[in-house]
Amino acid sequence: MEQKEFLNTILPCKDTLYRLAKRLLVSSDEAEDAVQEVFLKLWKGRDKIHHYRSPEAFAVTMTKNYCLDRLKSRQASNLQIVHSNYKNSDNIERSVEANEGVELVTKIMQTLPEKQKMIMQLRDIEQFEFAEIAQMLAINETAIRVSLSRARKAVREQLMKQYNYGVS
Amino acid sequence: MELAKIESLLDSYFEGETSLDQENILRDYFSSDNVAPHLIAYQGLFVGLKNAQKEVSKREVSLPRASTNSSKWWLGIAASLVFLIVIVGLQFSETKMTNQERLALTEFYKTKETLLLVSKSFNKGTQEIAVLNQFTETKNRIFK
Repeated sequence: MEQKEFLNTILPCKDTLYRLAKRLLVSSDEAEDAVQEVFLKLWKGRDKIHHYRSPEAFAVTMTKNYCLDRLKSRQASNLQIVHSNYKNSDNIERSVEANEGVELVTKIMQTLPEKQKMIMQLRDIEQFEFAEIAQMLAINETAIRVSLSRARKAVREQLMKQYNYGVS
Repeated sequence: MELAKIESLLDSYFEGETSLDQENILRDYFSSDNVAPHLIAYQGLFVGLKNAQKEVSKREVSLPRASTNSSKWWLGIAASLVFLIVIVGLQFSETKMTNQERLALTEFYKTKETLLLVSKSFNKGTQEIAVLNQFTETKNRIFK
């Protein structure tokens, strides 16, 4: 497979992979590293890509595995990484209100367990069908619905707390 | 959009039972300006999720130029193939001579053979001359 053809298949889901990686690893720098790493792995195994029904689902699975590995090794080495995603000019350009909405929701999502975090990311942000998510995460659809419901309720609870705090 | 419908959609949303289309209805409703006051708390959630999708990777991915390596390898194969074909072709063109050329070649060999025969006889002649030389030598010794 030529590089151009490879990029045409994989590049469209680059941002999806990046957002998933960022949701899991929090740091945008580490998320960019993860995307680069996953692209390299996919490039090396490019001849096998067509064996998979959906290259996108395959790429998401690889990103998930890579990020979970990173988290595991981070835990093992007992490193406490303080994430400082410094704001650059791009962030400032965005309207403050919209930015606050994103930050609040993503901050709450950070508190969820990994599985719920991934499912909510893939469903509520990337808007994949349950069947696709089931393929990506190798979890059956019923279990996904249950996790998703828990995740959404947990986010709602936190959001209500924040909201009521703001009101009163 | 009817409020009752939105409320029931919200309920099934939190149960994980909505379809993507239904979730889009909710997203659109909460993105609009006329959200019912008792539902305004949910606006942050849906707008936040919608905006979270706008976040993009800013770093270019770089792939190794592995493709050039393999193409060079092919180039080598191609070059040696061309070389082989040329060699084989030359060999073939030599054996595939025209009739006239073949005739000329046999003529050439025949002539060469004849000439060699002639030169052989000549050499025999010169050998005889060596005897004659002996004769003149003796003659010179006597007649000074």
